[in-house]
Amino acid sequence: MSYDKLFLIFKREYLTRIRTKSFIISTILAPVAIILLIAIPIILQVSDSEKTQVIGIKDEVGTVLPRLIELNSERYVPTPPVTMDSLRSLVLSGNLDGFIEITEEHLATNKDVELLYTGSGGMGLISEIRSDIRMVLQNERLDRAEVGAVVQEILAMRPQLLTRKLTAEGEETQDTLALFMIGYIMCFIIYGAMFGYGAIIMRSVIEEKTNRIIEVITSSVKPFELLMGKVLGVGALGLTQFIIWSISASALLAIAAPVTALIIGDDAASVDAGGATTQAASEMPFEIPTIGPELWITFILFFLLGYLIYSALFASVGSAVDSESDSQQLMMPIMVPIILPMLFLGKVAQDPDSTFSVVTSLIPFFAPMLMPVRVAMTDVPAWEYALSVLLMVGTFIGLIWLSSRIYRVGILMYGKKASFKEMAKWVRYN
Amino acid sequence: MSVIQVKGISKVFGDTKAVDDVSFDVSAGKIYGILGPNGAGKTTTIRMINHIMIPDSGEIFILGQKAGPKTQPLIGYMPEERGLYKKMKVGEHLMYLARLKGMKEPEAKKSLNYWLERFEASDWKKKEVGELSKGMQQKIQFIATVAHDPDIYIFDEPFSGLDPINSELLKEVILELKARGKTILFSTHRMEQVEQMCDDICLYNHGRKVLDGNLNTIKRSFGRNTVIVEFEGDGSFFDQFEGIRFNNRSNRFVEMILGDYMTPQALLAQAIDHLEIIKYELVYPSLHEIFIQTVKESSNKRVNA
Repeated sequence: MSYDKLFLIFKREYLTRIRTKSFIISTILAPVAIILLIAIPIILQVSDSEKTQVIGIKDEVGTVLPRLIELNSERYVPTPPVTMDSLRSLVLSGNLDGFIEITEEHLATNKDVELLYTGSGGMGLISEIRSDIRMVLQNERLDRAEVGAVVQEILAMRPQLLTRKLTAEGEETQDTLALFMIGYIMCFIIYGAMFGYGAIIMRSVIEEKTNRIIEVITSSVKPFELLMGKVLGVGALGLTQFIIWSISASALLAIAAPVTALIIGDDAASVDAGGATTQAASEMPFEIPTIGPELWITFILFFLLGYLIYSALFASVGSAVDSESDSQQLMMPIMVPIILPMLFLGKVAQDPDSTFSVVTSLIPFFAPMLMPVRVAMTDVPAWEYALSVLLMVGTFIGLIWLSSRIYRVGILMYGKKASFKEMAKWVRYN
Repeated sequence: MSVIQVKGISKVFGDTKAVDDVSFDVSAGKIYGILGPNGAGKTTTIRMINHIMIPDSGEIFILGQKAGPKTQPLIGYMPEERGLYKKMKVGEHLMYLARLKGMKEPEAKKSLNYWLERFEASDWKKKEVGELSKGMQQKIQFIATVAHDPDIYIFDEPFSGLDPINSELLKEVILELKARGKTILFSTHRMEQVEQMCDDICLYNHGRKVLDGNLNTIKRSFGRNTVIVEFEGDGSFFDQFEGIRFNNRSNRFVEMILGDYMTPQALLAQAIDHLEIIKYELVYPSLHEIFIQTVKESSNKRVNA
């Protein structure tokens, strides 16, 4: 292998791409897109639905409605003293969104409560009303039974479980949810990058084929040198992007805590210079997690290894087709192992130390997505980590060998779409 | 001395023998033409000489060295299917290709400047390849082929897809390279180009070499068996004879092979009575004719064997 030529190819692949607008845009937009993707559902869920559904309460008991109104005066209103049929027509004419009849029986027995409504409002409305009704009925029964304040207090107690991670250096508070979120974001970014960078490689191979420059290039260099130069050049591009993301993310996190604290601190009543930050920080709804260097290294390393594995596969598909639209069928076996770990993600997050999690994070095709999640959430034993890296390196070497044999034949084949059978035949060509 | 030596090479793709036990020698300073119909194995042979493909059996020597990565820089190759990276700037692109051929940056720069000047393309250096017209891109492609100043040039179907101006230009460049003592090999299925330019030829059919050697020697070996007549009058006169094969015919001109039933003299004697003869000439067969005859013979042999 000629390293001079390899370097020339590497340099071209890297330099022509890093100068493109699409690289700059994707470097800036990808994290923004991912943050939005995660933030939007949360914001939507937290924010109240804009319109309050008005539910009439036909309270035969007399004490239930005031309790409901105390909970939510906009939602619960008394019904006019009319028959059930008239109430039904009120709902149908749109004057009410629904109504509930509460009778003495609901307090005396465990009879189910019935909501007659328009059907709009969705799951959120129903679960809110259910929990309101349950609470109100329970309180009413407790009052009637005259159990006293002590029992009522006992029933109202809802302690949270706080976790503190014990390490050799001492104790530290740890927010599992935040750690999972970090792992989840990393997993998502790597998942996207596998497709994104795989597509870059594939497109670049197809471009050289359709451009017909491939023959000029291969009259100067070995196909393997071209393939390697391309894979490494685009890989360096990805590395650049991941390092930019990692550095800017850790910088953001480093300033995020004090800044958030400052904002919340401003709102807080006591703003004395020293104590404000710490006090405010403890009032924050969530903890801003710190990401250690080992997690950043894992993030970058596993992206890189995963990229190498999948780029080799994408390159061989690219060499076997004449245009991107022909590639769909051949892409299937590559896409499945990239998508599968996203299905395992929930189970891995639930118990990152289970046998299932260990095994799936060792499988080289899944490891790039799953190992960072485990590293974020738990202490992965060194041997598992090392074995996973080793297996990925081995897989890459095997695949790049295989791919280069397909590539070398495929790039000079025009006009017909290769099948897997044909590609297997190419591997054996001399 | 043989610049390119092809010794019994074969290449099989699946069930088809693309090239089947072909040997030939290309001598220094000559223009060598590989001829044959589409699919005869010309491109595969050329790819093997360029070490883009490796023969299943047989050997190729370039200036005495076995074909391999070391011999690639000795050759300037322009494939039939041509292309460039559309997004690259012309200057960077040419530099990239020259460097891949093993040139150092300063010498590559000098050579590229010379050729860009020669093709009046110096202004394009900063332009993206995709911005250039097709004809301009073809010029860039020539420069990419010749810039590293090799001793051997290989053109696969060089005139296909070229506009007339670039066709002329390429012909000029090929003759200029020959004048500088370079060796040129090109493939084509268009006979007239070979007749105009080649010293030696090699005929291909169905992956096999059917004929090779010096063009003039080959022509002479077929003898003056072709009759050219220019005349005034009714050309249907020629249709009454059995065995005549027309290579070329218009209402005042025929080029034909008489076959075994008639001598040129006998034909002339009759023709004088019916037509006003302006010219009556016996010539060597055209390459086209040679090709058809040879291919027919070799195909017959294949059927019989």
